[in-house]
Amino acid sequence: MTQATVTEARSGTAHSGTTERWIAIMGGTALGLAGLRRGSWALAALGGGLFLAGAAGVPIAEPVARRVREGNLGLGDFGDAAERLPGVAGLLPTAQREPTTTQANVTVAAPPDKLFRHWRNFRNLTELFPHLDAVEVLSDTESRWKAHGPGGVEVVWHSALDKVRENELITWHTLDGAQLPHRGSVMFKPAPGDRGTEVRLTLVYQPPAGAGGRAVSRLFGMAPEQQAREALRRLKRIVEAGELPTIKGQPRGNRGMREVME
Amino acid sequence: MRALCWNGVNDLRVERVPDPTLLGPHDAIIKVKLSSVCGSDLHLIDGYVPTMKPGDVIGHEFLGEVVEKGPEVLRLNRGDRVITVSIIGCGKCWHCQHEEYSLCDNSNPQPAYEEAAYGHCTAGIFGYSHAFGGYAGSHAEYIRVPFADTNCFRVPEGVSDEKAVFVSDAVPTGYMAADMGGIKKGDIVAVWGCGGVGQMAIRSAYLMGAERVIGIDRYPYRLEAAQMKAGAEPLDYTRVDVFDALLAMTGGRGPDVCIDAVGMEADGYDTGIEYWYDRTKQAIGLENDRPAVLRQMIECCRKGGTLSIVGVYGGFIDKFPMGAAMNKALTFRMGQQHGQRYVKRLFEHIEKGELDPSYLLTHKWSLDDGPRGYRMFKEKIDDCMRVVFTP
Ligand SMILES: NC(=O)c1ccc[n+]([C@@H]2O[C@H](COP(=O)([O-])OP(=O)(O)OC[C@H]3O[C@@H](n4cnc5c(N)ncnc54)[C@H](O)[C@@H]3O)[C@@H](O)[C@H]2O)c1
Ligand SMILES: [Zn+2]
Ligand SMILES: [Zn+2]
Repeated sequence: MTQATVTEARSGTAHSGTTERWIAIMGGTALGLAGLRRGSWALAALGGGLFLAGAAGVPIAEPVARRVREGNLGLGDFGDAAERLPGVAGLLPTAQREPTTTQANVTVAAPPDKLFRHWRNFRNLTELFPHLDAVEVLSDTESRWKAHGPGGVEVVWHSALDKVRENELITWHTLDGAQLPHRGSVMFKPAPGDRGTEVRLTLVYQPPAGAGGRAVSRLFGMAPEQQAREALRRLKRIVEAGELPTIKGQPRGNRGMREVME
Repeated sequence: MRALCWNGVNDLRVERVPDPTLLGPHDAIIKVKLSSVCGSDLHLIDGYVPTMKPGDVIGHEFLGEVVEKGPEVLRLNRGDRVITVSIIGCGKCWHCQHEEYSLCDNSNPQPAYEEAAYGHCTAGIFGYSHAFGGYAGSHAEYIRVPFADTNCFRVPEGVSDEKAVFVSDAVPTGYMAADMGGIKKGDIVAVWGCGGVGQMAIRSAYLMGAERVIGIDRYPYRLEAAQMKAGAEPLDYTRVDVFDALLAMTGGRGPDVCIDAVGMEADGYDTGIEYWYDRTKQAIGLENDRPAVLRQMIECCRKGGTLSIVGVYGGFIDKFPMGAAMNKALTFRMGQQHGQRYVKRLFEHIEKGELDPSYLLTHKWSLDDGPRGYRMFKEKIDDCMRVVFTP
């Protein structure tokens, strides 16, 4: 199977495609402006909503995405993908259903050993994945993970380390009984020049029958690709800036409580 | 506290909102003493920046006093009189380390909007829409500044508040515009727009060795300030053909460096049909920005010259004369200001008397007059260059 197909599988299940996204943004802006100009807040809100959907990669045209998916995908063996993703090679099962591969990349202005140590200390991972509540280390290779879904539903699974290459690579897979079986790898590679370290996070999910990426989203309230990307962003921000910048809790006007002073 | 909030297109209100609190270890709280309007705010007020939300506090050019700081703020102390750069850097990422603060990887808490629209996210900006982070702005009694050690700068003793406040935004933006022009001895520089940013670009071009600087605008009082205060040769684009005039003033060569200090809401006077084409498309949302100035700069610029763009654009433009740009081998430089790179140098210029931005302050008003102040600034009445609010 070709690389292009893998990419399509990814964008088809994990987030809305680029074209769709642009339509959402452009349509959102145009509608928003038209709405504001006519003084209609309802229309403006609709426009704004579309922009949000576009910006957040929320699938707004699921039937389109599904068609793309079904039109292009057979039962691939993902051999090519495995080769391109060091650390995942050889870990992929001969699938009955298609696994979903999600990948995120980020460059962090820090040396590989610092990032490796940060990740290797599993306690730090709860900061990177907001739905993750605790990681308990059971042995040299095994650990127990506890997370919560959108409704506060508790999810527990066990995970085993496969490869640990100091300052370079960590790979793992979930053990039998996991609700969301997956394999993962995180790679640390020196970036050229003074750019720090390239970090690549790859997650290969075996989605429950017929459910696809949406089941994963339902479990964790976020598409897997977005989770991976956000996790790496948090890693970068914590290691580089020493905090996760936020605007939660800052003052803002409230139309209801306003005191018009003019 | 009181704050000036955006509530919709052309709908600003002074409201009572909670005081800000420290949210991160590198935050500081500043008691605002002076807070200026800026041409960038007009793009929000006119509705050309799509991710504003009712209740957003605006304002990003300000001076004040440090009243509180987080445990990891090391360089500042309570009581310091500081200016804060409008665009927020974390100080630690690769871009900040290379003094490209407005490209900071980390300071925007809501990166999804820009990543979807631009491919990457850039720095957070105070009071400048949720795409740029959604940070509450400075038209308020207090403001929270993230990464305060990187973004706040103590004002030197002898420099007055009225001179210092514009080192937050207008001065570094104009200075960077001139800097990006790569001005060499003998260069003639043309600056489109004689608002606060254009005025500072003119002065900065001289500081960097320009032979002559031409200032282009339509408001007589702004052209007069450009001439009398900044030393420009004024050009009223409603009275002459800009192309003909610039060529006549440069021996037929065209300006070596062209600076855009106007941005997406350019007026078009001598370009009637073109203006209404863009104005209409922009109004119905098919084009985000009106590029009249950009097109004119490409036409006028000397072959092999440089276009330096600090006027703000947000989305897409139409009828971009790529053929002229390519065949004339023009260089394009642009960006939001990296103020932190320039503040020290700017205060030195001010202390030596080589630069005095205080004439930009034409009106000092109470924050309660915020909505009225913005109307005056927007309509360019009462010879208003910049209104500065005192909360
Ligand atoms: N890059 C940055 O970091 C940065 C920082 C601050 C401001 N800005 C941008 O700089 C621009 C100017 O800001 P300002 O505060 O001086 O605004 P301003 O509104 O005070 O001034 C803009 C001036 O441009 C003039 N103008 C309009 N159309 C013109 C045309 N076709 N030809 C020549 N002049 C024309 C107007 O008459 C006005 O005097 C804005 O777009 C603003 O968003 C950018
Ligand atoms: Zn500004
Ligand atoms: Zn940064």
